[in-house]
Amino acid sequence: MTTADEEYSREFARLSATFAAQLPRQVQVLSDDLDAWLLAPGDMARLDTLSHKVHQLKGAGGTFGCSGVSDAARAVEQYLAELRGDVSNASASAMDQIEAAMETLRGEANRISAESAQGGQRRLQT
Amino acid sequence: MSEPTLSRILYVEDDDDIREIVKMSLEMLGRFQVAACDSCAAALSLVDEFSPELLLLDVMMPEVDGPATLRALRERVSAESAPAIFITARVEASDMQRYRKMGVLDVIVKPFDTVRLPGQIEQIWRHHRSSLNDNGG
Repeated sequence: MTTADEEYSREFARLSATFAAQLPRQVQVLSDDLDAWLLAPGDMARLDTLSHKVHQLKGAGGTFGCSGVSDAARAVEQYLAELRGDVSNASASAMDQIEAAMETLRGEANRISAESAQGGQRRLQT
Repeated sequence: MSEPTLSRILYVEDDDDIREIVKMSLEMLGRFQVAACDSCAAALSLVDEFSPELLLLDVMMPEVDGPATLRALRERVSAESAPAIFITARVEASDMQRYRKMGVLDVIVKPFDTVRLPGQIEQIWRHHRSSLNDNGG
């Protein structure tokens, strides 16, 4: 391994830990944004912003090797796309699906954040 | 005459995490000079002074997306002096066809391995250079 590789690995680990630590908060913001949009589903600008944030999380999750986060974000993104334009006729099951996908995302975020914190703790102890 | 090597990359990505990790990867592992920014407006303010040899553009960005950013940058820098690569998580066949029609060298699909990314870009660049040579460019 070259010095550049080692340096990159260290920086990647640092950024990954920061990403993991911020995940639960990031997902909470998405969840709040989703709730706000559901109160005013005609607000397409809000839906666009929400969809974009979910899209970013999908990409960032994959880039940092958190495939569970990426997959869950992809599901939320797909449900949002399906609701677009037809939200007034959205069935209760569609709403349940998006809530369930968001719950999966929350669970993944909490798991990764906890695992990352434990890993950091272990590194501090050794 | 030796083949010109890729040095300066202008990278536009609105996601802070991805932008930081990709810039780091390209600089540390690829030894490229990278000007990274988060929007079309920022890219336009950098492009003249930085004089990029390659444009690396995220497709899905708010306000001005990757294709529109490329069109804006093409007013300032030609495809000959700075060809472009798109990065996207959206990989439907119709989208890919549309991107290629815009003259981009290639489309890198998210998520990607940031360790392999510099090599992937180098390979695309070399392929492009050899196509130019084959065509007498």
